[in-house]
Amino acid sequence: MKTKKTQTAQEQSKHKTSQVHIIGESPMVEEYAELCASKGYRVTVAWNEPPATGQKTNSIRKSNVIPADTAVGIELTNIDLSQKRKNLEKLDKALPATAAILTSSVNVSATEQNSWVIMKHRLVGIAALPTFIEKQRVEVAPTVFSPAETLEVVRRFYSSLGKEIELVQDRVGMVLPRILCQIINESIFAVSDDIAIPKDIDTAMKLGANYPYGPVEWAERIGVNQVCAVLLALQKDLNEDRYRVAPLLKQMSIAGEWWKSQ
Amino acid sequence: MFKHVGIIGAGTMGSGIAQAVALSRIDVSLYDVNDTLLRQGVERIRGDMRRGIQKGKLTQEQMTEAVERIRLRSSLSDFGTCDLIIEAVIEDLRVKKDLFRHLEQSCKPTTILASNTSSLSISAIATGSSKRDRVIGLHFFNPANIMKLVEVVRGQQTSDVVLNSALDFVKHLGKTPVVVKDIPGFIVNRVARPFYGEALRILGENIATVEQIDSICKSIGGFPLGPFELMDLVGVDVNLMVTQSMYEQYGGEPRYRPHPIQKRMVDSGLLGKKTQHGFYAYEDKI
Repeated sequence: MKTKKTQTAQEQSKHKTSQVHIIGESPMVEEYAELCASKGYRVTVAWNEPPATGQKTNSIRKSNVIPADTAVGIELTNIDLSQKRKNLEKLDKALPATAAILTSSVNVSATEQNSWVIMKHRLVGIAALPTFIEKQRVEVAPTVFSPAETLEVVRRFYSSLGKEIELVQDRVGMVLPRILCQIINESIFAVSDDIAIPKDIDTAMKLGANYPYGPVEWAERIGVNQVCAVLLALQKDLNEDRYRVAPLLKQMSIAGEWWKSQ
Repeated sequence: MFKHVGIIGAGTMGSGIAQAVALSRIDVSLYDVNDTLLRQGVERIRGDMRRGIQKGKLTQEQMTEAVERIRLRSSLSDFGTCDLIIEAVIEDLRVKKDLFRHLEQSCKPTTILASNTSSLSISAIATGSSKRDRVIGLHFFNPANIMKLVEVVRGQQTSDVVLNSALDFVKHLGKTPVVVKDIPGFIVNRVARPFYGEALRILGENIATVEQIDSICKSIGGFPLGPFELMDLVGVDVNLMVTQSMYEQYGGEPRYRPHPIQKRMVDSGLLGKKTQHGFYAYEDKI
């Protein structure tokens, strides 16, 4: 009988030669790629748009051709959903039937994404937003087509990255993105209402409610455009006014970084 | 800096504030309409300080000095020498207005009247006073002797002098003040609403369980407690009351709409830790 230690060693040596192809938006592509590379995977990436210069991409090989022996394909697009569809169709055509496709399902459900591909058994949703992969756990949303075998591949893949998975129902916003983006939205409504300045709102939430980051600071970490996209997706999916984006948040997203110096 | 601060109300918040003030070497007069609550408040302060000594955060000398600084008062007319009076009584506008009207008769003309309210308008409370420019909000967080934040709420007529004195006082306590406009929920109670509201909706839509949502918020979000753990700690009824109050004060804003789960829990007596049962079951100590 194999010991647990032997199994782990075997898993490690196995995935050291495994190929992962990551496609989507910066900085999530880099975050996933660097983590996978650090755990011994062969990694190729393709960006929807090239990342800003000066970012660390040393350990990442750019490749618009998806390697035929790819074991795990990861699609990380939250904003441009028509590009996301193209990326998934490409992965679906190129990957072997045994490969798993992990796709960010924060702004469009994994079930809807499954309607874009032919081999539906291998696609599983994940909660991917910038910085989320730094944490020890990942929200995973299986679809009605996901067999236990695919989930086991996903569990083992994240386990090899040192992460646990939490299976949640396949719904837009999943759990943390929905809660967090609404907190950020509320904080920006509070700024618009002139309740306090952004710095004080951050201080108040950290010292008064023990939040790890202030909401404005958090928006900056995740990306204001990502937060807006989650809220717009929730508003569209649930058709509820409670998810309307604070007008100032929209402006922050459109106007880039001007607000950071305010 | 203030030499003498009065605290009205010796419940959890009042006694916590009294402790913080006494430890910053300012004399405190503490009053409660109920003698038993006043005695319990002092015992709570002593107990907290003893635990502080055990943890090495406080010396015996500091405790002795702080306890000596706290004088128990039996009448509101004993607050004549206070530079600042902070009320931490029941969240009832009429009670707070009456209290300020009463205090004004015996205190110095320069005394600042502060309210620790978390849900009422400071400008509305100020209408109980004839010197509305001297009324301000000092919203401490529980436990007040530990939490570093104080929301300093500027009412419509609060003067710059009073605001600056209040800011200096909060800094003297070793705490961080943030200036807030007099708007329902101020910063923390308002910005934290979606933490509970969205968690309840996610639960109601069967996307994840109570345990999963708490676990995801802590392990991925880095929050110290999950939304359901926090609702159980604060009281499901208290959380519903705050949500309901915000919903009404903001004219039915859908972001603050309470969730049916909250009302169902309250109607069922599942109020959280205080009833041994809320979103979680707690050990029965009876």
